[in-house]
Amino acid sequence: MEVVTLIVQTAADSLLNIGKIALYLIPILILIELARYYRIIEKITARIKGALDFLTLPQEAAFPLLGGMFFGIVLGSALIIDYSREGYLKKRDLMLIGIFLSISHSIFEDTFIFAVFGANPVILLGVRTILAIIITRVAASFLDCLAAKKT
Amino acid sequence: MSSIIEPVKTGLLKSFRLLWLLVKIIVPISCLVAVFDYYGIIGAVAGFFSPAMAYFGLPGEATIVLLLSFFVNFYAALGVLTTMALSSQQITVLAVMIGICHELPMETVVCSYTGLPIPVSALLRLFTALGAGLLLNMIYILVGGG
Repeated sequence: MEVVTLIVQTAADSLLNIGKIALYLIPILILIELARYYRIIEKITARIKGALDFLTLPQEAAFPLLGGMFFGIVLGSALIIDYSREGYLKKRDLMLIGIFLSISHSIFEDTFIFAVFGANPVILLGVRTILAIIITRVAASFLDCLAAKKT
Repeated sequence: MSSIIEPVKTGLLKSFRLLWLLVKIIVPISCLVAVFDYYGIIGAVAGFFSPAMAYFGLPGEATIVLLLSFFVNFYAALGVLTTMALSSQQITVLAVMIGICHELPMETVVCSYTGLPIPVSALLRLFTALGAGLLLNMIYILVGGG
């Protein structure tokens, strides 16, 4: 019988926790939708040219990169597939965006949810973004080195 | 005004869908983990991994959270994380590791559409998460927070 009480108690606790998450999740998702509706990303893509240059990615990479970072890996990948069909991005660029996004995606949602439970949001955002940038840059050099050897 | 209503509605709908998904994932997994804990299974797993987890400044039980994150998803890990008594520093380290490496079975497939091979993205994320956890814990120790 003790086990049953335990299960009921745990279920109640976890529902309470989900309620706590809801308080933060709902406003954040609404803000994200608003940002998407008002095309905020298109407006900032022009400003991250420096970062793209560092990652050795073309200007066209800005939209899928930021889209995935803010709105999630599924949207990011959808944009990537769309872009690759249009022929804007080379194979190498696509793979680099994939590497970047696999480490750093839907950063606002994830960060806020963990912040609710006591994690430090600045460290969370910082570590993921910095690591994604470093690893993508290293991968870029590595891929270019491989390509140079082939030719 | 009507222009604002549409995105707000979409955001609300998405929130409710996500919250319902959370209920479906977090409640059963938390209960299952509680039952495992009751029969001492979690303790055994935690004991086995606690030397390894010490490198991250985490208790052995954190192994369960990490495994759930890697193979199930973010939210399953979150459900168990909330039942554990952890310091803010430990939650931050765990959150960074979970944030980098979660839901591998699904996301590596999604990512493979960019041309990134599935094993490469899985290993990349796994090692990045472990490296980030180690590094962050070391920084915490150096700064004196640990």
